[in-house]
Amino acid sequence: MKEGKMIAMLLAGGQGSRLKLLTKEVAKPAVPFGGKYRIIDFPLSNCSNSNIFDVGILTQYKPYQLNSHIGIGSAWDLDRRSGGVRILPPYTNEQGGRWYKGTANAIFENISFVDELDPEFVLILSGDHIYKMDYSKMLDFHIAKKADITISVIQVPWDETSRFGILNVDEDNFITEFEEKPKHAKSNLASMGIYIFNWKLLRAYLIAEEKKAESAGDFGKDIIPQMKADGKKTYAYQFEGYWKDVGTVKSYWEANMDLLSEDNELDLYDSNWKIYTKNKHLPPQYISCGASVANSLINEGCKIEGNVENSVLFNEIHIKNTSNVNSTVILSGVTIEENCNIYNAVIMEDVVIKAGTTIGSPDSDVVYLVSKNKIIESE
Amino acid sequence: MKNCLGMINLSENDGAFGVLCQNRPTSMLPFAGRYRVIDFMLSNMVNSGINNIGVFTGNKVRSVMDHLGSGQPWDLDRKINGLFLFTPTYDYTSINAKVGDLDLFFQNKSFVKNAKQEHLFFAKSYMLANIDLSQAYEDYIASGADIAIVYKKVSDVKNRFIGCDKINFSEAGEFVSIGHNLGMEEDFNLSLEMYFMKKTVYFDLLFDSVEKGNANYLKQAILNNLGKYKVHTIEYKGYVSCINSIRNYFDANMAILNPEISNELFFEHGHIFTKVKDEPSTHYMKNAKVKNSFIANGCQIDGYVENSIIFRGVKIEKGCIVRNSIIMQKTHIDENVHLNYTILDKRTTINQGVTLIGDPSLPYIGGKKAVISKEGNL
Repeated sequence: MKEGKMIAMLLAGGQGSRLKLLTKEVAKPAVPFGGKYRIIDFPLSNCSNSNIFDVGILTQYKPYQLNSHIGIGSAWDLDRRSGGVRILPPYTNEQGGRWYKGTANAIFENISFVDELDPEFVLILSGDHIYKMDYSKMLDFHIAKKADITISVIQVPWDETSRFGILNVDEDNFITEFEEKPKHAKSNLASMGIYIFNWKLLRAYLIAEEKKAESAGDFGKDIIPQMKADGKKTYAYQFEGYWKDVGTVKSYWEANMDLLSEDNELDLYDSNWKIYTKNKHLPPQYISCGASVANSLINEGCKIEGNVENSVLFNEIHIKNTSNVNSTVILSGVTIEENCNIYNAVIMEDVVIKAGTTIGSPDSDVVYLVSKNKIIESE
Repeated sequence: MKNCLGMINLSENDGAFGVLCQNRPTSMLPFAGRYRVIDFMLSNMVNSGINNIGVFTGNKVRSVMDHLGSGQPWDLDRKINGLFLFTPTYDYTSINAKVGDLDLFFQNKSFVKNAKQEHLFFAKSYMLANIDLSQAYEDYIASGADIAIVYKKVSDVKNRFIGCDKINFSEAGEFVSIGHNLGMEEDFNLSLEMYFMKKTVYFDLLFDSVEKGNANYLKQAILNNLGKYKVHTIEYKGYVSCINSIRNYFDANMAILNPEISNELFFEHGHIFTKVKDEPSTHYMKNAKVKNSFIANGCQIDGYVENSIIFRGVKIEKGCIVRNSIIMQKTHIDENVHLNYTILDKRTTINQGVTLIGDPSLPYIGGKKAVISKEGNL
């Protein structure tokens, strides 16, 4: 065992079905976000910014775009001589083939991968969340507390506690109780799905859990409650800052809109904690004579001839003369022809909006998801 | 074009650029919001299938090394072939001042000798174009010539190409000589200083010239031996801009505001690659008003911008008016600044209320990392 070494295991196999068409072709971690990123860029960039250079990525649901996005990990400086980024899909062996049943089962199936890297600690991450976090500080906390498990938690608004796994802690941040989606929560500390385990211990629990017939193979439902019941030391690491799990189309749209406020907590302009992504090598954006652009994020390769306000535009988007785009998220490669009026929409990749189209209205707060052949309203 | 070796010589005349080229060669001048001048020739080569490239860095090495690194953005960080950099060497034996490119080539002859390619392509960076070299290469191979020179017929009303090489043909249309353009003729044949050459011919010319001591430049060696070799000329019909003076540099940047030119330069024969900076999206804030401008990623704009080229990571605060200007990477323009016809180098800071106004023929230039304040506000 290499003392003090921590590797990350990033769970990136989830579908995120409530995102509807956004995850029709890609897994949730590969959903584009914030003008040029995909959601998985956040945990991956956090890893390299935290000096964690061994990252196993567990994929399962529609992995093609995710795989080609990650490549050999060079965008995140994770193309290493040893270690680096490794994509770990489900596989077959002498006993046949199996899908990953749950989060813990996915790690169980890759015990040999972790054993080869031989770390002291394993960091479990989810590829679904948008946040910036220094994992090395969480590890310092884990070591200082001599903990067996550390779970990262964040304060959520009290009226939303019923959506999360809530942890009750004492004054030393020792976890006293778990409550999964409680009706009347005693605390507002929600689990962020980020765990640090001592690998030796986790390894033993994964093997034991696998032998139980009724196990769901899940960290939150099985492994952690079992460890707690056995009296293992579980601590909560309190994270402060922006953290978002975009579950629905509307919350996805809102999270993008959050970036337009000048003092937003995510602060993508902080050069000390850059978020990295695969680069498309496109020329700068061109704003024409007749265009007007205000309170918007725009990216490389765009050509703006119309009016854009309160919107987030990805790469290579062409907005033609006399079209108005307001409070809209537009993914790469979209063309909006002349005389269109678009409000409160999420427009998917490579869609062409025909001249004269109107989507949404300025007085409604319904969000429209626009794909090549249909438009759906948010609930 | 895998049988062709690329050679880019960056020892270009940068005397006309003043403070912009104090610490960088012409090839490293920032261009079009996110590129350097050299990115165009390197990308041309890579997009045309040349994957073994030698770059002769010239004296101002730091900037070149920093930008090119291992060649990764151009996919040139290879085990087989790739990017090779040649810096000037210190030489105790020579009693002569070093002039011209032949000496450089001679010192680094083993690079060419050991390369597997049988043909060479020589280029400079300051002739900026998006050019399909594979077509020119096919033309050169089909002609069976020993040497081929790429040229463009230009009608140079505005004296854009003063000081460039011109190609002279005989009345029968045969290549006769390469001269220096002084602007005597409006219509002439501009040499793009791009040459194809057989490797065997290259070594004959090189060794012959060194022994006889009658040439400092490769083109001089070609002219000295015109009778011996078959020289072919290839006409290029696309857009080219020549970066050899501040005015030309300024105009070449402004030219990309013309959609036809930017389409040709950035898309026609493949993308242009450059070192990636991982900047976030550009944020146009509440007071932003932008017209006819080229803007790179990572900027935060809250002022008025018109007819300008804004590089990566520039901040323009509210109340600013920026017109007809080139603002390079990471420059910070504080509130109520007024700029017209200016070029601000990387990481300059313009403090509140400053007004800087240049002229189209000679823009105001703020040097790298300069801090410019209003009198009394220092």
